[in-house]
Amino acid sequence: MILINCPYCGEREQSEFTNGGEAHVIRPKDPDILNDKDWGQYVFYRSNPKGIFYERWVHTHGCRKWFNVVRDTSTDTILKIYKLTDNKPDISEFQSTLKSPSGEPIVGSGNFAVKK
Amino acid sequence: MTKLLSADGVDITQKNFQQILIRGDGKDQFNQVVNKEISLQPPSKNLELKTNDKCIFAKNSFDQWTLVYLVEQDYKEILKIISNLNLNDEILASDYSYGQVYFEVLGKNKNEFLNKLTQFDLRDKKFPDFSMAQTLIARIDCYIYKLNEKYIITCNKSYEDYFKKRLIDLINL
Amino acid sequence: MSALKNKNCNYISNKEIKITFDGRSYSAYEGDTIASALLRNNIRLIGRSFKYHRPRGIYTCGIEEPNALVQILNEHNEPNTRATIKRAYEGINICSQNRWPSLSFDIGSINNILSPIFSAGFYYKTFMGPKGFWKKIYEPLIRRTAGLGKPPKNFRSKSIHQNHNVDILIVGGGLSGLLAARKLIDTDKQVLLVEQDSFLGGILNNSNKVKKIDGKNTFEWIQETEKLILKSNNIKILKNTLVTTYNFTNHLIALEDKFSGKKIDINKSELTLHKIRTTHTILANGHIERFISFRNNDLPGVMLASSFEKYIERYGVVPDEKPAIFTNNSSTISLVKSLINLNCKPCAYIDSRKKEDIEDETKEYLIKNNIPFYPESEVEGCEGNKKVEKVFIRNNSNKISSINSSMLCPSGGFNPDIHLFTQSKGLVKWDEKINSFKPDTAFQNTITLGSVSGNYEFKNLCEEINKKLSFLKVKDLNPEIETNIRDDFSIEELWETKTDKTSKWAKSFIDLHNDVTTKDLKQAINEGYDRIEHLKRYTTNSMGTDQGKISSINSLGIVSKILNKKISEVGTTTYRPPYAPLSFAAIAGRSTYEYYDPERKTPIHNWHIKNNAVFEDVGQWKRPWYFKKHETETMHQAVQRESKQTRRSAGILDGSTLGKIEIKGKDALEFMNLMYTNAFTKMKPMTSRYALMLGEDGMIMDDGIICKINDKHFIATTTSGGAPKVFAHMEEFLQTEWPHLQVYLNSITEQFTTFNISGPRTREIMRKVFTDIDFNNEKFPFMTFKTFNYKNTEARIMRASFTGELGYEIYISPQYALELWELIFKHGKDFDLVPYGTETMHLLRAEKGYVVIGQETDGTVTPIDINFNWMIGKKKKDFIGKRSLTRSDTVRDDRKQLVGIIPLNKSQFIEEGQHVVECENLPNKIKTPVEYLGHISSSYHSPNLNHCISMAMVKGGNKLMGKKLFVSTPKGTKNIPVEIVNPVFIDPENKRLTS
Repeated sequence: MILINCPYCGEREQSEFTNGGEAHVIRPKDPDILNDKDWGQYVFYRSNPKGIFYERWVHTHGCRKWFNVVRDTSTDTILKIYKLTDNKPDISEFQSTLKSPSGEPIVGSGNFAVKK
Repeated sequence: MTKLLSADGVDITQKNFQQILIRGDGKDQFNQVVNKEISLQPPSKNLELKTNDKCIFAKNSFDQWTLVYLVEQDYKEILKIISNLNLNDEILASDYSYGQVYFEVLGKNKNEFLNKLTQFDLRDKKFPDFSMAQTLIARIDCYIYKLNEKYIITCNKSYEDYFKKRLIDLINL
Repeated sequence: MSALKNKNCNYISNKEIKITFDGRSYSAYEGDTIASALLRNNIRLIGRSFKYHRPRGIYTCGIEEPNALVQILNEHNEPNTRATIKRAYEGINICSQNRWPSLSFDIGSINNILSPIFSAGFYYKTFMGPKGFWKKIYEPLIRRTAGLGKPPKNFRSKSIHQNHNVDILIVGGGLSGLLAARKLIDTDKQVLLVEQDSFLGGILNNSNKVKKIDGKNTFEWIQETEKLILKSNNIKILKNTLVTTYNFTNHLIALEDKFSGKKIDINKSELTLHKIRTTHTILANGHIERFISFRNNDLPGVMLASSFEKYIERYGVVPDEKPAIFTNNSSTISLVKSLINLNCKPCAYIDSRKKEDIEDETKEYLIKNNIPFYPESEVEGCEGNKKVEKVFIRNNSNKISSINSSMLCPSGGFNPDIHLFTQSKGLVKWDEKINSFKPDTAFQNTITLGSVSGNYEFKNLCEEINKKLSFLKVKDLNPEIETNIRDDFSIEELWETKTDKTSKWAKSFIDLHNDVTTKDLKQAINEGYDRIEHLKRYTTNSMGTDQGKISSINSLGIVSKILNKKISEVGTTTYRPPYAPLSFAAIAGRSTYEYYDPERKTPIHNWHIKNNAVFEDVGQWKRPWYFKKHETETMHQAVQRESKQTRRSAGILDGSTLGKIEIKGKDALEFMNLMYTNAFTKMKPMTSRYALMLGEDGMIMDDGIICKINDKHFIATTTSGGAPKVFAHMEEFLQTEWPHLQVYLNSITEQFTTFNISGPRTREIMRKVFTDIDFNNEKFPFMTFKTFNYKNTEARIMRASFTGELGYEIYISPQYALELWELIFKHGKDFDLVPYGTETMHLLRAEKGYVVIGQETDGTVTPIDINFNWMIGKKKKDFIGKRSLTRSDTVRDDRKQLVGIIPLNKSQFIEEGQHVVECENLPNKIKTPVEYLGHISSSYHSPNLNHCISMAMVKGGNKLMGKKLFVSTPKGTKNIPVEIVNPVFIDPENKRLTS
């Protein structure tokens, strides 16, 4: 169970939060002009990398604030927490902070094969 | 006011308070309007609370405040304040006077006792005096206000029986 | 109690207690564990092994015990209790496991004779056929014989959880842990020290390796340290508490046994699960001794050397006065000294190292005390009838001699206890000096101190502690530690000794718990399982409840030799929590039975109870399901009565559980238009509208009634279960997608109590209760609402109903809710008002063809599927779900659509969940799937129509009106003939509703 530093309330237990899926998925301004395939991409498809992941969380049992998080999904380490209105941090910011838990290959971003 | 339990350095009393929940943007106009109605400037710092003999005024969230009256007011007055606040488009005030239940918690072992029901960090350095928090206690959404040496915990009234049962159950185990 | 007592032991009192083992009574002392109590009575045989039912004795003195697993009959009879940990008390009643009819004569030992069949991977190769044998013969037989103990009795635990938030957690109250704690006394750090034993001290109590600290004897030093810690205001101690799990982010779980050494008080919690969140973790949890594999290394009478020493020093009992000792390292001499101090003498000291590598002090001491010394020798094996009787020693010229002995104490070296460290995702490294794995790189804020970090020498300890805790900026500690033995640690690698016996029955064990022999390891590697994770699972090595604590590193050593690889290349398997068996009762804590989920009750709850309501759970709410008019009324009778009476006169339902959300702001109208399908722009103020909320995929998510106070102020209701979800959904879009909209939301579910009253006589009742309001149809039309003052509170009445009858929804402050409810009944009596519950509500709405979210809809239903096209605001540019309604999938005309179904034979009843099909009879043997046209989503016996009515979702249903089809039944193959009809069964013109 990880600790999440809510931008409003400070460090709280994970159980107070709800994960909100991938971040920076913007609702199309004009859905009517999209064909089924492109609209379906927005409604149904999300990425799921092992490694650096940009996602959203909401402090459900607290202040109700939504915020963005950069998390390393292979180690559950939270690398950065930023506001919804901030720019998406560049991936190069996180390369040096990556650590590998025992047994796992060193990870970067994107999908990785199983450990050798 | 009813005494719920008193044992092992933990004292819990159930009380009834009236309350107004206010949503708004916390900017100058909001502060002016609110100050005019209730003669108190809304706290601006996250989770800060102001208190006097009459009430507690706390900022719960980036856009939400609660005003809890510690002394019973003429209910008509409260309703008037609410409808005056609601005249403004940028404010939503809701009456929370009779739908909540309140517990006052005192005692030197209150932190250890409450930590049987919640993971929230109650230590002074993480939860200073005159601040508040929204969190889960006994898996119920609660507001917890920290005043000098005591907590006021409140949640929806529908949970009243269950919450009381949990408190009494745990003190005996 | 025939075994020799060590009177110098500080932790065993003189108070005698009586215990029962396998039906016989024995004496012991207060403070004994079951194991030490049995050893005091010279009981060597304690159980039978898992697979082969070989006789087994007490092997160790701690949590790592693989053999001495017993059941406590006078408690909950939990199986696999470690006799080496569980403390005895007056009246404890213990029995051994896995044997029948008795320990000494166990029929299961036939498995030992059949053992060549039960070799590695046996589970994967056998019981394949013939067909049918698995279900009828193998499985029942295996179930009878599998497992070690018997299941526990039925009981309700009272275990609780305790959360902690600290700055530093010290795991282990031994020498390293206590020194670290001393450094932290009266600093500004909040510290928690956790120790699994009932006393602090660790190695200081368990061995006689340390003589004095700062001139005081160890017992005095421990007491002084404990006093200092207790006096401090920042350190707390938990004893009898074992840390089992190390998670992210420095979150640890520990289990406390609150009744250690006492009989359980069933009125108190017997276990506490401590959940500790800390900034720094200091692991000072020590080391575990490992064994050596040799022929018959599992006989009762074989016990690890430092465990034997722990029985003497910590538990005050000498298990045997002249044991043979077999070692490959320099530490075992302290056991010899313990024995000599009590005028006992080992019958042999067998050291596998070369004579010149053995410490001079050791050699001198052995010679001085006349102890038979066998350097450069190893134990070839031991033999005896259910116990060690002879020990065979191979010397450096390869000659084997035998000695008589009743106890053999091997020591294969020491492993830093890295379980918790690796659970924290730290990396370990092989260390040649100690011949074991030790912590290398921490992944979290973890510090290791003492033997767990691979530091086996006391002279380095203070420097290590001062260095690793230097970030704390406190004064250095430098107590003088005086040892009884030479401090340098030396070890020579030895995993398994050679045996000359080649018979199939000669066994050298690598895992005592699961009966895995070294031959099994070799066989598995021969069969191709040479990766350590495969090998573990194929042989079940280290998969027992002891997790191979005394043997798994040995297996890596053996495997590395066979594969000719370095141990670091072979690697370890993943250490998973918990470190020791953790009961589900402790994990569940108090959230069981009536506390399983928070319960929510409305202000009218007590009235419902007084009026014989039977409740059902709707989410966390307790809602009346139906009301029993008299004791023998069945649910069916009650529901029929309530439904009939509501349509005949009037009925009232407590609808307080439905969610209510207040929505206000400059952009409220635009927001509502985006969240729901309906068009709200032209809606008049003070009117209400039934609305649908869709997901972005076009599927119905929730429904409700929207009251428009004005364009900037709305109140929305939601389903009871959906309230938090809808609120969160609205907040999400306001914060993430449309922050430019100025709208605020408040949940007011609990701030108003809601009554739903409906039926032809409702108007008359309302006129009597609310004398100031004009309820005439023209003045108070359908789907409008009024606010008014009730005893100086703001109340609202909306004209709407879910039953299809003339009806109203009353919203009242909880302050006056019960009073108003009773007033309504006072007047309603004259008009035959009946209280009804959720079941009747479902029946009445089904008669009108109204859908229930979650019953007709299941996340795959669009508004068009249920004939609600009219609810979609066609002129709206956008709303959530709009685009998805024109996806190729959502415009198919063979989608399942809402229809009504009635049986052709009015006496037949259709069950919910059954299938709509075209065939009259299901074939007896189904060779090809029967085509499924739809399913019955709701079905009731209508008392108002006197036959069964059903709602169903059927493919292309809209085009099937009047068609004759069939519905399956739960029993038998004859289907019910039915007709597809309009789902509105009563008053299709809505005359009753709108007049």
